[in-house]
Amino acid sequence: MKPERLADEELMPLIADKQPDAFEVFYDRHGKVAFSLAYRIVGERAAAEDVIQEAFISVWRSGARFDRAKGSVRSWMLGIVRNRAIDLLRSKTGRAPLDFDDDSILEQRRAPQMTEAEALRNETAEEVRGAIGELPGEQSKVIELAYFGGFSHSEISDMLGIPLGTVKGRMRLGLEKIRGELAEGLA
Amino acid sequence: MSGNEHERWKDEIAAYLLGTLAPGEAADVERHVAGCQDCQREMRWLRPAVERLAEDVELVEPSPDLRIKVMAEVREDVKRAAPERERRSLFSGLTGWRPVAAIATVALLVAVVAGYTIRDGESGGSPEATTVATAGKPPGVTATMVSSGDSGTLKLENVRNMPPDRVLEAWVQREGTVEPVKALFVPDRQGRASTTIPDTTGVEVVMVTAEPRGGSDSPTSAAMVTLEMPE
Repeated sequence: MKPERLADEELMPLIADKQPDAFEVFYDRHGKVAFSLAYRIVGERAAAEDVIQEAFISVWRSGARFDRAKGSVRSWMLGIVRNRAIDLLRSKTGRAPLDFDDDSILEQRRAPQMTEAEALRNETAEEVRGAIGELPGEQSKVIELAYFGGFSHSEISDMLGIPLGTVKGRMRLGLEKIRGELAEGLA
Repeated sequence: MSGNEHERWKDEIAAYLLGTLAPGEAADVERHVAGCQDCQREMRWLRPAVERLAEDVELVEPSPDLRIKVMAEVREDVKRAAPERERRSLFSGLTGWRPVAAIATVALLVAVVAGYTIRDGESGGSPEATTVATAGKPPGVTATMVSSGDSGTLKLENVRNMPPDRVLEAWVQREGTVEPVKALFVPDRQGRASTTIPDTTGVEVVMVTAEPRGGSDSPTSAAMVTLEMPE
């Protein structure tokens, strides 16, 4: 059967068997959303392309590691992309000059170099979309900073000046709300 | 576990799923969840919400070049891996690169590399190394590689019953890529044959196959000799 007609889960063994046609189908299915996610996180096309190339090649070379118990192939792939994008973002933070004030670089700076005001401005400047856009601001803010900004809960706590427990509580409330709406949508 | 304690773990699970916990904290959550069915349910329940975050980003079209670059790397991987796979199969199953292996292997016993002997040149000239491969079972083909500088002479013995429409072709493998050695050669009546390997730099493996007259661009039969070169 042609790879185009196979489900993602059926493609994975073929990818593990190093069949490029199967991988091409896999890329065509997920490349665009993966790139969009990487771009959303790193904020520049060239860096996002590097992330995608590395992430997809890592999947190609270790395709057999997909564990269907942990979700769909797509979410697994996007998790890999997100982690690589965050790694890149944070490694850039380490290299960023402390007194550099070029806006394009500033957007890539992350805690502890980034001030609270800078971080909030950057994260909230992005148009929040979809499910996260429906959340109360205090919840969407911590989720944005965590998921797209790659900040740890303690960094978020420092930036927002709120206790760690409050940060985690808002994360949970936000996720619960998104999850509830997903369930309603399915009902 | 108290209600408060349970609520605390649920908060931790949210932070875990968003990837904000330090490795030690994440490990604590995993340990707890492994032994708590309520928390397993909570994790299963919340996970799609996190997955939704990735799906909700504004779609941006990647450059078409990106697809080309990714697929080029994939195909390059396949190309690099092919000789290695074949070499492994030659060592293990002694099958050919292609199914037509039987054409040559009927008449020729396949030699298996048994070891090397390396000695420094004794004549005071340039350093010389001799690599000896012996047949796995008599009367198998024996191969000897005599290196001198960057070139070498490959000598075969006991090449018997060579089909008349076949010639010997040597191949070298460098960094996983197999290339033909230009000169073709044939055994004499005593079953001896030799050829020159003009450039042995970086050669990992030397192989010999029987090919149609005129030679082939890639091996079409099983190797009768596979000689691993010492580093």
